[in-house]
Amino acid sequence: MERTANIELAAWRSSEAALVVNRQLSVRVFASILLACALLSAVLASWVPLQISIVTVFLFAGPHNWFELRYFLMRLPVRFGKSRNFFLVAFAGIGFLTLTYISLPVLYSFGLWTGEAWSTILATWNTLLLLWLGVLVWLRGKQKSRRDWSWAFAATLGLVSLNWLQPEFFSLAIVYLHPLIALWFLDRHLRRTRPAWLRAYHRCLCLLPILIAGMVWKSSQAAALPDDNGLFWRITQHAGAQLLPNVSSHLLVSIHVFLEMLHYGVWLIALPLIARLAKPANGESPSTPRIGGSIWDLKTLPLARHPRGFPKLIAAMLVFGLFVVAALWFGFSRDYSTTRDVYFTVAIAHVLAEAPFLLKML
Amino acid sequence: MKQFFSLCVLCLLLATALPAYGDIARPKPSPQKSRIVLHTSLTIVPDNKAYEARLQISQSSLQELRAALADTPTNPTMAQAITHSSTRTMLAGVFMFLSLAFAGIWLARSGQTRSQKIVVALLMATAMISAAAILTRANAGPPGSYLWRKLPQNLGKGTPTYGGIDIEIVPDSNDGSGMKLIIPQRPN
Repeated sequence: MERTANIELAAWRSSEAALVVNRQLSVRVFASILLACALLSAVLASWVPLQISIVTVFLFAGPHNWFELRYFLMRLPVRFGKSRNFFLVAFAGIGFLTLTYISLPVLYSFGLWTGEAWSTILATWNTLLLLWLGVLVWLRGKQKSRRDWSWAFAATLGLVSLNWLQPEFFSLAIVYLHPLIALWFLDRHLRRTRPAWLRAYHRCLCLLPILIAGMVWKSSQAAALPDDNGLFWRITQHAGAQLLPNVSSHLLVSIHVFLEMLHYGVWLIALPLIARLAKPANGESPSTPRIGGSIWDLKTLPLARHPRGFPKLIAAMLVFGLFVVAALWFGFSRDYSTTRDVYFTVAIAHVLAEAPFLLKML
Repeated sequence: MKQFFSLCVLCLLLATALPAYGDIARPKPSPQKSRIVLHTSLTIVPDNKAYEARLQISQSSLQELRAALADTPTNPTMAQAITHSSTRTMLAGVFMFLSLAFAGIWLARSGQTRSQKIVVALLMATAMISAAAILTRANAGPPGSYLWRKLPQNLGKGTPTYGGIDIEIVPDSNDGSGMKLIIPQRPN
């Protein structure tokens, strides 16, 4: 009896040791992949920024939006419950701000306002965006009994004040900060599904400023990128070459492309890979996101799996998303410049949608 | 069936969006408007020894004017960008004030530790200095007509008059006049 118990204990110890070894190995593999992807992105973005920008947007812009849509559907509850006001404000804000943002270039084409008036219009849109974010943070804070998030109003109004001083720079800041939000999503996702990887991930994040500093050191003295054709001019303008004439456009485009590549990497590789590797939790309810399934498996989405869910609607949305991805590829292949302009205007919707879903994960 | 119909309608709407946008009439060209390229100050000094009227422009003002006339893309400093738009500066000040007010309410409502108080004091000091800088740069003051209202009396007394002035580039006039100094005057 005692011998049997010893054998079982020895077997348990050996399996536990194997698990620890496997966990350490998987953490190392995860960190190695992260570092390799970041280094490769930095090298490519510094070497041929314009070409890499064209290729990455062509290949990954549409698919990464589809993956984001799927991720958001996975995190959307079947019934809003106490979060009803939060989601109502979120969706109303996304709709209103997207429509007004899309209308801006249309209005600009009519040439009704001067440059100064456009700065005021831009500052007004930024103000609405910030106030919407402030209200969302406050509503989310109301759901947290232990924390007081009412500081959000003071912080929001402070940012609004800075925005009115330099609205163009504020918009440029959104262009550079948005890719980093994906890294925050990955952090929150790891915290829930793979806490053992979190430490390695944070160490890898510490290398990010070093990589950017290296890119600045290498590209700051580089000659300005050629912007003699419409497409190259659009890419350099998007990176802020007009607003920062004293900074090398090579550096600006390089850093922007590097951050965009990290953004695409998180949504297209890291999050789906973690979802596949993560083991399903025991005793999960139909309303909780199920992890570990295929991306094509609708059962992984609570909205489709729940008895009161909308499986057909969800399937239609995802199929329509695939249709849009194919349409984007077709548009890029026919007229890259125009499709790029249209994409980066309409894509404000996914930038806005990230805010409420990230807040729900905090 | 309804969902399929809705999907078809949505696809049709998206497919017709671009051709519909392509049919929008070309906007009428807006008439050429005058533009203010420089804001500086002007002091009118009556001088009984001078034979000719003189417009003395400082070296720095001349350089700024030359850059504006050449339509060269200059890179304005933060302070210049702020002072060029008093509306935006005022709104920035209003939101800064609101931010401080909300921060004060939040502080009053929340429990404070010692370290929190130090951080808050530093933040408040920074915010106050920033607000003071904005107010200084806002160029807030009475309208131009108020400053120029005593010009006739001052000219009669032989004393100087100080007021703001805009240098404006306008299309060539038919009467052949080169420069025109417009002094705002309000009827008493």
